[in-house]
Amino acid sequence: MRVEYINPFVESAFNVLREVLNSDIQRGELYLKSTSQPVLGVAAIVGLAGDVEGRVLFDMSKPTAIGIASAMNGEELKSLDDLAKATITELANMITAQAVTKLHELGFKFDLTPPAIFTGDNMEITDSKVEALIVPVILPQGKVEINVAVRERA
Amino acid sequence: MKTKMDFPNINERKAEGLKPDGTPYKVLVVDDSMFVTKQISQILSSEGFDIVGTANDGQEGLEKYKELYPNVDLVTMDITMPKMDGVTSLEKIIEFDKNARVIMISALGKQDLVKKSLLLGAKNYIVKPLDRNKVLERVLLSLK
Amino acid sequence: MMERVMDTVTEENRKDKLNKERMEKIDFKMVTFSLGGKDYGIDIMKVKEISKADRFTYVPNTAPFVKGVYNLRGEIISIIDLRIMFHLPAEKKKEGVPENIIILRLDEYLIGVVVDTIDKVVGISSETIQPTPSLFGDINIKYIKGVVNHEGRLYILLDVDRILGAEREEVRKEIDTPLLKRIEEKVEAQDNHHAVDFSFIIDTLATFKKFTVNSINETWVRKRFDEWKSDRAYKGEDFQLKDPTEAEEYLSAFYSPYTGKFWAEEYCKAFESFLPEMTGGAFHVWNAGCGNGYETYSLAVLLKSRYPGSMVKIWAHDNDLLNISNAPNLLVNPEEVPEKYRSFLVEGKNGYQFSQAIKDSILFEYHDLLHQSSFPEVDIIVARDIVSFLNPSEQEKVFSEFMDKLKPGGLLFLGQNEVLNLEGWEMVDRGTMKAYKKEV
Repeated sequence: MRVEYINPFVESAFNVLREVLNSDIQRGELYLKSTSQPVLGVAAIVGLAGDVEGRVLFDMSKPTAIGIASAMNGEELKSLDDLAKATITELANMITAQAVTKLHELGFKFDLTPPAIFTGDNMEITDSKVEALIVPVILPQGKVEINVAVRERA
Repeated sequence: MKTKMDFPNINERKAEGLKPDGTPYKVLVVDDSMFVTKQISQILSSEGFDIVGTANDGQEGLEKYKELYPNVDLVTMDITMPKMDGVTSLEKIIEFDKNARVIMISALGKQDLVKKSLLLGAKNYIVKPLDRNKVLERVLLSLK
Repeated sequence: MMERVMDTVTEENRKDKLNKERMEKIDFKMVTFSLGGKDYGIDIMKVKEISKADRFTYVPNTAPFVKGVYNLRGEIISIIDLRIMFHLPAEKKKEGVPENIIILRLDEYLIGVVVDTIDKVVGISSETIQPTPSLFGDINIKYIKGVVNHEGRLYILLDVDRILGAEREEVRKEIDTPLLKRIEEKVEAQDNHHAVDFSFIIDTLATFKKFTVNSINETWVRKRFDEWKSDRAYKGEDFQLKDPTEAEEYLSAFYSPYTGKFWAEEYCKAFESFLPEMTGGAFHVWNAGCGNGYETYSLAVLLKSRYPGSMVKIWAHDNDLLNISNAPNLLVNPEEVPEKYRSFLVEGKNGYQFSQAIKDSILFEYHDLLHQSSFPEVDIIVARDIVSFLNPSEQEKVFSEFMDKLKPGGLLFLGQNEVLNLEGWEMVDRGTMKAYKKEV
């Protein structure tokens, strides 16, 4: 992934999560994965378009998703219901939107496409083999892997 | 003997969402995210605002406005929505009622759309993530 | 009485005549030679030529009887030492004294065999070949076609097909992928200590620095070992590498010139000597393992100077995020760079950086070489001191990726002390620098 794209995503994730969760966020070490499949159970995806093509995937376990949604709503949610899903989707949107803004400031014309959320036990989202940057974030509610796969438009 | 009723409570302050005459401002919330709708509704109703309606897209928002007219003091309008986006909906509402007060809710990265909205007649805008104080401040500014 | 004598004489004459006839019916010729003191013969139809050779290229990790490979007028053939193969005593020739080789042709396959001395070509009748006595000595009987008596000498006829056919598969297999196996040092009687010591060095380099010792860098590692040993002895220290720091010290001499620095004029000139005079509209480069970017910028400046009219595009990759993240906005002190770079620098608010034109020609990416890459075919690949830090299976993957991504006739540049001996690549040696051309 292009070096200049990395910081905006890392910073946005950090900023937004800290703001909405109002708690300690720890960033794990960045690394590269060869296939960008989600692994933890709940995936919120925001598409990227413009100078690049790709997507940002927010990968987390169901309990973590429920925990985060509960915290953001100020109430204990019992399951991954519509409200919880809408909340996680909104979170993905906010983080990606902030990253895209930072990228605009750097001169890269990115655009967002509307987010979607997928849940399931044995999820298989098949990206044709694309290298992904993983930004692990450790929250009190659990770990979230922000999985960014972008490719320069030829 | 003086009772509790007679002494003014110095901690009491006026709820932000009430008009000078004591009645609540009426708000229509237009947003495709259940979460954002809930957030805005919670923030506003906790300050005494009355949420008179919600809509999931720009089209529904326009229809609800026409239905509720003239009993809507403020519309909160999300910019990115399916079917009809917030900017188009804003335009149509203003067309219908040139005194309509609409405040845009936007995610970062849509600055040009925000500007367009302001030019079309939106009173103000709020950027997500929603911060309680920011929301109240901007909403009240829009109501002036 | 007379008649009986006459009969005997006639009988003798007849036998003689028969023998003579037999002998005259020369339908088999053999090249005779000696091996471990005995006489042997090989069917001349299998012999291509007789030669002397002294310089074989040792191929690691092959059976002991494989002496190595030899360049016979452009053709690379394997050389087998029959004395070792048959466990016969071999006189160790002095350094530089050539060995006697018989070059054999089996179907399409050429192979050379080392023997003690080569005698002459002898013609016999195939009828005189006798089956091998079962209690025969030295050599495994299945390799013997038979024995033949000629002018008082007993020759053992070797079944060359069998010897070499059976072994051929093994030899072929070993030779086809020489690179990609670790060296397993054979503990020879005479070199016991050295072999073990060297294998420890190999292990510690792998453990501490993830450095793979194989034919890519073996020559350098061995040379360095001798140097290292005497250096450490002089300091009164043990030469074994005890920690990553010592391993790094050992490897400090490995790295190519101007690692982490801008390339100086003479290095650039040497590099340019490999490049075509002119190029079409675009010139694409893959810089694998670009580190902090100095190498990449050097390439950009070099190429833009040489091909001012062309679109130069460099894909620069590294999997060390910390290292590469500073590359796009590298700050440079104009005083500290070679002259030719200065015209490509512009002053900004934080100091001098490379011009937008240079920056636009480079795409710095945090990328793992072993993952899928997505860029078009390139004209050259610059991967200095990278492959030595991959394990053998990773190396295989990377070389195949290099092969895929390079245009036919394109060039691959490895590190100063890295050598490639793989099918499909032709070495271009310009003295101070080497490159590998992808064969068309």
